[in-house]
Amino acid sequence: MTLEETKKATYTIPVGPIHPALKEPIRLALSVDGEEIVDVDIFAGQVHRGIEWLGMNRNNPIQSIYLAERICGICNICHPFAFVMAVEHAAGITPPARAEYIRTITAEMERIHSHLLWAGIAAHEIGFDTIFYLAWRVREEIMDLIEYVTGNRITKAMFQIGGVRRDITEEQFPRIRQSLDYYKSLFGQLKRVFLDDRTIRMRTKNVGVLKREDALKLLTVGPTARASGVPKDVRQDQPYAAYADLDIKAMTPDMVSGTVVGDVYDRIIVRLLEVKQAIEIIEQCLEKMPPGPILAQPKTAVLLKTLTQAEGEGIGRAEAPRGEVIHYVRLEAGQSTLATWKVRAPTYVNLMAVPTILKGMQIADVPIAFASIDPCMSCTNRIVVTDRAVGRKSVVGYEELHRLSVEKTKELPR
Amino acid sequence: MELLTPEKIIDSFKTALGDSFIDAKIYQCEVAVKKNKFRSLWVEVKKSAFRDAVDHICHLQQYPHLAIISSSDLGAEVELIYHFTIYYGHHLEELSLGLRVKLPKSDLKIPTITDLIPGALFTERETQEMMGVEVVGIPDKRRLFLPEDFPEGAYPWRKDEKGPPNDMLRVLPGREPK
Amino acid sequence: MSLKAFKRALWVYHLNTGSCNGCDIEILAVLTPRYDVERFGIMLVGSPRHADVLLVTGPVVKQMVPRVKRIYEQTPDPKLVMVVGNCGIEGGVFYESYNLAGPVDQIIPVDVYVPGCPPRPEAIIHSVVMAWVKLEKAEQGVS
Repeated sequence: MTLEETKKATYTIPVGPIHPALKEPIRLALSVDGEEIVDVDIFAGQVHRGIEWLGMNRNNPIQSIYLAERICGICNICHPFAFVMAVEHAAGITPPARAEYIRTITAEMERIHSHLLWAGIAAHEIGFDTIFYLAWRVREEIMDLIEYVTGNRITKAMFQIGGVRRDITEEQFPRIRQSLDYYKSLFGQLKRVFLDDRTIRMRTKNVGVLKREDALKLLTVGPTARASGVPKDVRQDQPYAAYADLDIKAMTPDMVSGTVVGDVYDRIIVRLLEVKQAIEIIEQCLEKMPPGPILAQPKTAVLLKTLTQAEGEGIGRAEAPRGEVIHYVRLEAGQSTLATWKVRAPTYVNLMAVPTILKGMQIADVPIAFASIDPCMSCTNRIVVTDRAVGRKSVVGYEELHRLSVEKTKELPR
Repeated sequence: MELLTPEKIIDSFKTALGDSFIDAKIYQCEVAVKKNKFRSLWVEVKKSAFRDAVDHICHLQQYPHLAIISSSDLGAEVELIYHFTIYYGHHLEELSLGLRVKLPKSDLKIPTITDLIPGALFTERETQEMMGVEVVGIPDKRRLFLPEDFPEGAYPWRKDEKGPPNDMLRVLPGREPK
Repeated sequence: MSLKAFKRALWVYHLNTGSCNGCDIEILAVLTPRYDVERFGIMLVGSPRHADVLLVTGPVVKQMVPRVKRIYEQTPDPKLVMVVGNCGIEGGVFYESYNLAGPVDQIIPVDVYVPGCPPRPEAIIHSVVMAWVKLEKAEQGVS
């Protein structure tokens, strides 16, 4: 299909009916032969807000932390995390060890909330709304904890260059442990619901397979890569924050099932394991957290002056729930804004794997397979379906796709 | 696969590229309580040897991870940094490797590396539309993020007269655009 | 503020015009068991043609302008538009970008503003109820 044809056919409406996490507008053009998908084209950039440009032209580096936070409403710990690390490396600032631990704790809380959010959405995609509501009810506990620790549910504003803005005190530990115990007690049930349920198994096994080779070639990151058997995890590979002190191991599906298939089911396994891992990491951090200050330079004006005079470049990497986030920052002496700022979000690279994942599958499997990479900037809101067999071209709305997916679940042999 | 130290990697670049190797530096800092080292490596090469350098990285690691291409407008030149990560999958052994290449503004062209690393496509498309660097031989020339009606010849990340025109900026009432 | 009766269910259509997802997941949280607005008959629907209220998030990037207008036209009268989040109200942190066309009220008329970055679920529920009251008044021909 040429671009011209696609242009005529795709009139994209940013449909955002029920699960906004997948509903950031993106367009996919699917070419199908009957029910089978033979080619996929991706149109990104429906929500391009020019954030990097703002950081390079309008904001000073401290203001840009809050801009980085608003790159994504779901991963709004890991973006400022990577950003402040990049600025710290560029300006030669070392954050105190206690701040590193607090950063790690908040990042892991975010992982729990994000993976539970995803679990609900994945269940919704196959028409299993009971599980969707269950997962989101369970998720509220971690949202409460995030609010208790950081003061807000979504945009946490915890990060500052050279440390964090709020401390986690000894008195808060029991409340944190209480939430962690809640999840630990629930883990068996979650595992049973997601891994042993017949419907989920039938809809996710051998669906959306991404082979190890393809994952490596297409630079896939995060749980999507790990589910394909690539043990790549920044927390394990390159030391940052408190992860450098802990012995972290990348989660791969063979730890549970013994084999690596690289399908949607494997991605569920990896995310479940990571929820468990996140709880363990928070517990270890609470135990090992050293005393001391939480900011390298508590005076914002002094910090800003240091940053204006600093010259250098740095790279910040953090493992977000969806994969690796990389920020590159270059500072020029005498310039109040960032000289260069480049952000790489995990979905940016994971999207490239979507054509490989979708090829050869049925249209009804598109929602769950696409959701399985946990696309953060994207949604299958409207898809152009070109039927090669009859040469017919029609536009399928997201609702229609979802209906097909739900029907497929209903038609499963009981 | 043998894991080389950053110093040895620089030496291997020198041997592989000869005169085309310009400069390299190692950045490291200590992290948290155990003081493990965060290391990143920055290598600058001549534009003519750029593809050889990428090829060399492919020898250091079978599938190097290309995170992103960052581009800076330095006035007379545009600097591209290809951010690779190598030796992933090994506890605390991974290295960030920035491959730096400078292009004069009179000749903003860089060969594609999608044949070596297929996943480089998105970031090459982005560099093309945002910085105005022509990627020679790129299999997909379309824009990635910018709208179709974005003016031709304007590139958001440029700091010279080719940056986004002022009348495109949405300004708060009563304020001047920066 | 008084609601005479829950005469009918209120159907809401959610439209993302380039938001960061923060508001969007809070809107979704409103639907799920903790806040559960479906018990009041408030429901997200998949098509603007079924909706009474348009819930708009995001600062409206340029690509989205024709789509926002078209969705507004597709929604049957009487209808209300709610903007959720600061960036839809006045651009928020994204102001001065080269790719913005918003805020939302520059493109379509807006009835209810919900400030916050993002607003809490309680604030979103409160505003939906306010929209409901306004809609009832509109239906009775009182403005």
